[in-house]
Amino acid sequence: MKLAHLADLHLGFRQYDRQTPRGGNQREADVAEAFRRAVDDVLAQRPDLILLVGDIFHSVRPTNAAILFCFRELQRLRVGLPDAPIVVVAGNHDTPRSTETGTILRLYEALGVEIAVEQPRRIVFSRLDCSVLAVPHQALIGDDRPALRPERGTRFNVLATHGQLPGLGEERGTMEYGGALVTRETLAPAQWDYVALGHYHVAHQVEPNVWYAGSLEYISPNPWGQLQDEQDGGRAGKGYLVAELPGSRVTFRSISPVRRHVELPPIEGKGLTPKELDERIAAAVAGAKPAIDDQIVRQLVFDVSRATARDLDHAAIRAYKARALHFQLDLRRPEVHRVEASGAPGRRQTLPETVREFLEHRPLDADLDRAEFVRLGVEYVAQVGQEGEGEGGA
Amino acid sequence: MIDKASFQPPPIGRVVATEQKPATPHQFHFWTANETSIGIGAIVRVEGFGAGDSGRVVYGVVTDGFAYSDLATPLHDVVGAEGDPARAAEHPTVRQEIRLWTAAVLRQRPEEPLQPVPLGAVHVASDVDVAQALRMDAYLGGEQPTAIPVGLYTSGGLEAPVYLDADFLLGPEAAHLNISGVSGLATKTSAVEFLLASIFQHFPPHKGRVAAVCFNVKGPDLCFLDQPGALEDEDRRRYERLAVQAQPFERVRYYAPFKADGVNLNTLRTHPDLVGDVEPLVWGLREVLDYAEVLLNRDDIDAKADAFIDFLADRVVDKEFDDGFGGAHRVVTFADLERLFRSIFDGLELAGRGDTWRTHHIATIRKVRNRLSNISTRCKGLVTDDGPSSDLPWGRFEDRAVYVVDVANVDPLGQDLVFARAVSKLREHLERRDLGVDAVVVFVDELNKYAPGDGPDTYVKKMLLDISERGRYLGLVLFGAEQFRSQVHRRVVGNAGTIVFGRMDSDELATPGYQVLSPATKIKLATLPIGELMVRHPHFTQPIFVRFPRPGVLRGRDGVERFPPAADLPFEDAVVRQLVKLDRRVRPNQVKDLIADRREEDVRRALAHTRQARPQDAFAHFKKHLGGRVAAVPAAARESVAPLNRISDEPY
Repeated sequence: MKLAHLADLHLGFRQYDRQTPRGGNQREADVAEAFRRAVDDVLAQRPDLILLVGDIFHSVRPTNAAILFCFRELQRLRVGLPDAPIVVVAGNHDTPRSTETGTILRLYEALGVEIAVEQPRRIVFSRLDCSVLAVPHQALIGDDRPALRPERGTRFNVLATHGQLPGLGEERGTMEYGGALVTRETLAPAQWDYVALGHYHVAHQVEPNVWYAGSLEYISPNPWGQLQDEQDGGRAGKGYLVAELPGSRVTFRSISPVRRHVELPPIEGKGLTPKELDERIAAAVAGAKPAIDDQIVRQLVFDVSRATARDLDHAAIRAYKARALHFQLDLRRPEVHRVEASGAPGRRQTLPETVREFLEHRPLDADLDRAEFVRLGVEYVAQVGQEGEGEGGA
Repeated sequence: MIDKASFQPPPIGRVVATEQKPATPHQFHFWTANETSIGIGAIVRVEGFGAGDSGRVVYGVVTDGFAYSDLATPLHDVVGAEGDPARAAEHPTVRQEIRLWTAAVLRQRPEEPLQPVPLGAVHVASDVDVAQALRMDAYLGGEQPTAIPVGLYTSGGLEAPVYLDADFLLGPEAAHLNISGVSGLATKTSAVEFLLASIFQHFPPHKGRVAAVCFNVKGPDLCFLDQPGALEDEDRRRYERLAVQAQPFERVRYYAPFKADGVNLNTLRTHPDLVGDVEPLVWGLREVLDYAEVLLNRDDIDAKADAFIDFLADRVVDKEFDDGFGGAHRVVTFADLERLFRSIFDGLELAGRGDTWRTHHIATIRKVRNRLSNISTRCKGLVTDDGPSSDLPWGRFEDRAVYVVDVANVDPLGQDLVFARAVSKLREHLERRDLGVDAVVVFVDELNKYAPGDGPDTYVKKMLLDISERGRYLGLVLFGAEQFRSQVHRRVVGNAGTIVFGRMDSDELATPGYQVLSPATKIKLATLPIGELMVRHPHFTQPIFVRFPRPGVLRGRDGVERFPPAADLPFEDAVVRQLVKLDRRVRPNQVKDLIADRREEDVRRALAHTRQARPQDAFAHFKKHLGGRVAAVPAAARESVAPLNRISDEPY
């Protein structure tokens, strides 16, 4: 059996004030386009079962355009893959705060889509000899939390739920706020053939048979952090998962990006004049691959004083902003170094800094080149540090 | 009873000194009438008289006795009786006979100048004399007395209470108590039980709060400390004389691991009337890993294994961890750890990267893995993956409470682990002064086994040495008991401020540690009756024999007869019992319906959470943690969906 695992579509997500030619929010259109491309790929993959694990929409009351678009895409799937059941689980973004609000997801039941919004559902697909326990966000945070355990009766048992594993995405703040907590203990991976998770926006293997599919676009929180998380996991880009059961062979299906998030090489601004810094930024923009036009771009500059920031060439910066869909010039103020022994604000010196300071003041023979002496000392310390990290692992 | 009135009883003897047997500042000899009430161990008072000695008082304890007559040689007696023992009684005159006693000096008043014992009259010691002789006056009175009754000094129908100094029994001046004696008389355990009761009733308020942690390492010895035992009138009288109430302990908390099934407790205190107050002792990976050194035997102890265990504890457990082969792990349980190990071994094999992972050699990794999986297999009821840990109430210890940790039926490896962890935690909390009490008495029986004088340096032995040497500063006091003191590590017994001897084996008495005792004292020790002990305490310059009453608690053997252990319950019933214990409103059938067809590990986990939370509505809490069942529903029949017409206005 082959299943497609998608999550965190966030249709209706809006960002920045750039508009489409039709007057809509460009990022909202980007998110929709990513889903369209994913559906195209799913149709090509022809899975037996399709799981949409939470946060179909970015809000409980999505835009009309998002509702309509979702209807079209689900209808495409139903027409293109008439035998493949579609199971939709509501995430925290889809969950109404009060019952009177209702949910737009019910609309898609008319297309034959299985929906779980408030209560968990164990849906048995006899033809596939598979049962899917669909557990929405509301069921996980409620008092009557269901036991996330399979039952006998079918060959394959799949769990689909939307929640966050403690610790995941904490380092860079890439785990979305407000998810229901699930632990490995509550998920009991060994008891399932496959566990499809949503909520974390980076594709991530929790266990060989437990996966987050990740979002289809770089949406909040901290898309730049998501890029780094992806890099750590050795899996670039956004997409969805195809899992083959039994054995849980999982393939990440990358979706070609609608728009790039371009991180320009960070600039160390310490000691640079405004003019020099302008030149560096201009060089970074000129060397950007892809070019910054219509992309989402961030330029990080460290150690920039308030005075330097004020005297930058703002006309040029405005030009960059005009070219890019969004250009973020992230100027970081210098860190305050400790001057006095105690009580002073700031940070402790790193080991190389301490070594440098010591070597710069140490008495030397007159025939020694101090600059070279200091450079070599700091370089050796840095080398040792890197070796130590390399050995330490993790 | 000793006469406390001003009436001065006549002397019972007189000090004699000859060139052969002179009186010295530490020893003297005295004679008594043939009909005397004193014997070995009796305390006597010598009053000096005449120039220089008037007003001097010397207290001594009888250590040896002699009897002889004016007979020149035994042959003279044979000749006098014409070889017939029956005619010996027909002597026209009775030979003069002497009873000569040797006494060791306990104290001289005044203390300076220290001189030989005066040749004065010898009196039987009164209550006051006993207090003076044993220097108990220093801690019996005053504004903040620190006296703990230990037993009754008894001699010739007279008796006087003997007290230990709490500053020297429980720190900080000295600490620890060691008790040795042959097994089978229940003297050692009984003495400790009585002494604990005495400490709880007499521990001075200005010294703070005190508790005891007792490791029950064999049978039902300490399983019924909260139940009253049978006492005789003589015991009650002794209790009254010692001003200790004859009653079981008011606050006793029992802890025992589960059996392998994870729901039945591994203790002999499983009678339905009693099992309700036994708390489970259950530890998870984190608790075990912090003390993993315990699991390593002498051959295993190396820096590499230590380093790898530290690596696991610091970098892996409870953290997101990348194994370097593309696998992400969050190790919380033993099962997670096993998965990580497998991943490492598989990864190394597939990658062909040699035999080193993160600078750790694969042999070291395998060794640590084997030890850890070994403990989780051999001590399944103690070490578990199912739910939160259940532990002693660190930080919430109650004043005058006894915490009994029953590990009698646990694998020896598990016993070591329990002991090492419990004592380490006690030490940590006492160092931070946040245990809830200021002093803790740790009672460990069978020191021969845990801190032997020879054999390997185990982690447990190191812990015992550490308590012995540093514990008194922290308020961590070791009460150790063993059969053969000579076989316990010298630094463990050597650091015990108070030493108690029960009936001793002759072979044991022949070992060098008992050379300071006189032959008569050794003989008395070898024949001590139940309920009598010899005590050495820093204030006493000589060992003193005391009698103590039977403890006011049910003895283990009697307890098992009165409260026979219940048979193990089936899983469902054991779960019900534990929930009912938490909340009497829980209906058994309701629980059984709920857990029917559930996996036992899930039930155990929910039960552990409920035990830990102790909610008002235990069933609701248990049900919530177990999670509701989701009934299977067949998917609705799907109509085929026809392609739609184009929408006149595409949304994006």
